[in-house]
Formats: sequence, structure tokens, C-alpha cells
Amino acid sequence: MSAAPDYSERVRRLFARPEHAGDARGPVVEAARGDARVRLSAEVGNGRIERLAFRVYGCPHLIAAAEAFCAAFEGRSATELAQFSATDTIEALGIPVEKTGRILLLEDAIAALRETIGQS
Amino acid sequence: MNAGREARPVYLDYAATAPAAPEVREAMLACLEDPLCFANPSSVHRAGRAAARAEAFAREQLATLIGAAPRDLLWTSGATESDNLAIIGAARFRAHRGRHLVTLRTEHKAVIDAFAALERDGFEVTWLEPGADGLLPLAALEKALREDTQLVSVMHVNNETGVIQDIEAIGSLCRERGVLYHCDAAQSVGKLPLDLGRLPVDLLSLTAHKFYGPPGIGALYIAPREGCGVEPLLHGGGQQRRLRPGTLPTPLIVGCGRAAALAAERRAADFEHVVTLSAALWERIRVLPGVVLNGAAEARYPGILNVSAEGVEGESLLLALEPLCVASGSACNSLSGEPSYVLRALGRPTELAQSAVRFSFGRPTTLADVIEAGERYAGALSRLRAIAPPPVPQALA
Repeated sequence: MSAAPDYSERVRRLFARPEHAGDARGPVVEAARGDARVRLSAEVGNGRIERLAFRVYGCPHLIAAAEAFCAAFEGRSATELAQFSATDTIEALGIPVEKTGRILLLEDAIAALRETIGQS
Repeated sequence: MNAGREARPVYLDYAATAPAAPEVREAMLACLEDPLCFANPSSVHRAGRAAARAEAFAREQLATLIGAAPRDLLWTSGATESDNLAIIGAARFRAHRGRHLVTLRTEHKAVIDAFAALERDGFEVTWLEPGADGLLPLAALEKALREDTQLVSVMHVNNETGVIQDIEAIGSLCRERGVLYHCDAAQSVGKLPLDLGRLPVDLLSLTAHKFYGPPGIGALYIAPREGCGVEPLLHGGGQQRRLRPGTLPTPLIVGCGRAAALAAERRAADFEHVVTLSAALWERIRVLPGVVLNGAAEARYPGILNVSAEGVEGESLLLALEPLCVASGSACNSLSGEPSYVLRALGRPTELAQSAVRFSFGRPTTLADVIEAGERYAGALSRLRAIAPPPVPQALA
């Protein structure tokens, strides 16, 4: 049995109050790796992402990163989603290196969302 | 979700370690402050003799708790060392007779890894599988025993699930077949009755910090029987019949002895206490959707309650449960996020095994603590399930 690892203040805060958890009325994408799953949805209007939402089955770091992504990219254009950087997110949230794979999963979901919005 | 960093921590991880009892701390402090007791018990001067008397008294206290003769105990640093000395030491001691050994997949890592080390040294190990309830099927053990089998190691109470093995039946079978039986009793000493004068156990590991003694001190019982013995793993001074050399830590030993005496006095009341707490918590969480108990419901030490829940990830559950101090069934820090090997051996699917939470109760736990635990567990399940994506249809999984 193991105890919980230590989490950064930002991860704790984002995990504790995920304001973007849920669904937006618009394109939906899902990505999965191992047992972890991410679902992103976006409400798009006038060329901008008016609302972003996420659902996650995964560790606190993934939940926190998904929340941080939604908060940062709401109100921006779909093409700007390409600016999401897993490396920057890992650094900004103080995510341990062994969790990189989880954040790359989020990156995969974001890429899929950008493509889906582009096609719609 | 409730990070709860400001809230009062509720410690429900007594299977990991228990705080030293006030009486234990007092006895240790008295030993540390005594002008003579600090000495090396092997020294022949007056101070050494005082320390030796304190050590002998503690040895007697521990021996009384488990129904052993004091001379049949070796002090060690804890259960991990005791397990290693018992398993590797006995395998080497009996290697001239045969090199086949038997253990159970759900043993503590200290046992698993000691056997794995012996495998690398050319011993042959049969790894038995438990039933879905965590119990060792005796027929499987019987079938595994061979002419050249020298040692069987099966724990008393499982550290993750609390499942209690029938050590009397296991030991009897081993005796009939002339095989040594080692029992890791780290989770049962001081909690369940143990009478080594009667039980067919040849080697038994224990550690003080699980029964309100100090960390860093444990013991190995070696039955005074023909053919039962260990080769030492450590070499140095001649202490403890050269089987486990090293200067004895008198204050820790005194604390262990005091904890053993307290456990002997309070065992029945402690047991009733955890029965009440375990029932109160299980009553609250068994009604939650998708929650299952891991391990046998009946043959289980009630001080440990291990539950899994569908649709929640173990590491997030653990954080959402803060300020509860509980243990998780997932190896949160690992790259793979591998779930508990114990629960996997019980046949739990990965997702359920990974969501496991072990609640373990102790002397200081109150009914209010478990009521709060039940409420927080229900709240955490509900919050995490609310943010999870819909389950993947079985056909696509």
C-alpha cells in the first residue's frame, strides 16, 4: 500500500476546485492511455472557443492540468490551441517527471480537439 | 473537491504504523535518562548489567505476549529484517537437505523479495495463488510440498486486506511433512491471540511499531526444535548467539517490552474496539454504489478494512479523501501506476484494484473518526465520479 505523493500548491488548488469539469455544447474528443482517460468538449462561436470543459478519469496531476488548460484557452481561437505545451504545463504546475505521460495524453486530446473544431 | 488542508487530520493507517503508547514513551524515556540503563547490555560492568536486566525484562514481556520462551527470541530492527533472516537464513541453514521453498503471492514485499533473492541464488520457489477471498487453499499447499521442500512462509494477517490465514492448519501440515514453517505476524502480534507454545510455527516475525511500540525494533522467534535454525545474515560481535550480532538498542527493546505487556492487558478490549469501528464504517460505505470489500468478510482482522470502488481512480481518491490519512492500493509514484499485487492476486480487475483504499483502525481511533471517514469517502466518490468521462462500453474496452 502506498501513501499519496506530495503535490504542488497549484495542483492541489486546481484539483480541489475544477471549475471547468463537465461538458460544453460542441465538439467532443477523447483520448486514453493505460487506465487514464481525458474527454474535452468546446463551445465554439464567432471563431472563438467560448467555453471549454473536461472530464478526466486519472490522477490529480491530470485533473489539474486539464483544468489549467481549460482556464487558459477559453476565449481564444482554435488555432491557438497549438500553443499548448506539455513541457510548460509540467513546469508551471510542478508536475513530477514520472507523470509526463499523463500530460502528453492531455496534449493528444487537445490536438484532437483542434482538428475536430477545424473540421466542423 | 475538498483539499481540506486546514482540517484536522484523521489517522486511519494503523496497519502502516501505530504511535508509541504513552506508557511506552515513558518507559523508554526512563531508560534513556537512567544513569546506568543506557549502557551496552553485553558489557560486564555495573551499568552493562543494569542494561542487561532491562533487556531481559523486556524479552520476558514480549515472550509472554506470544507464548514463547524468552531464549527463543532474537531482537532485530523490525519485521523486514526478521523476514529476511527467517527466510534466507533458514533456506541456507537447510540447503544441504534440499532447495525447494513455498510461499504465497500475497505475502508482504519483505517476504516476496527475500524469496526472489533466493531464486536468484538457485533455490526453487513455488508461488501459491490465494483464492478470491485471499485465503490459501490448503490443498494447494499440500500439493506443492515435495521431498526436497525445506520452508513454507505464509503470513498470519495480510497487511493490505486483513485476511487471516489458518496458521495452525498450515503449520500442522508443514510439521507432518518435516518442513519448516515461517509466519510473518507483523499485523497480528498484540492484536490476535498467539500461543507459540501450542502453535506449530517454527519461525515468526514481528515488529513493535505495529502494536504501539517504537519503530526500529522487532524480533524473530525461532522454535527450539531439531532442524529449525537460521544462518546469520549479519556478521560482527557475538551478540545473540552470533545469529544476529550488533549492540542491542536497550531503550527500543524496553519500549517493545512495555508495548507487549500493554498489548497483553488490552488485547481483548482493543479487538472489540476495532470490531465496532470497522462495522460502523462498513455499514456507511457498503451502501454506496459500486463499492466492494477486498478479501474475506469473515476470516479478516477487523482492524483493517480494504474497499474498492468502481469508476474512481485511486490516486485522485486518496487526495480527495484528505485529511484522512489512509493507504491506497495503487503505487501512485510509479511510472506504470501498477495496482496492488495483492489485490490483483485476488483476481480484482486493474481498475478496481487501483481504486482500493485501506482503512485501518487503532486504539486512539474514535467512532467520530470513522463517521467522518465514511462521509468523506462518500463525498469523494461522488465528486470524482461526477467529473469522470462516461465508462467505455465493454465492447470497446
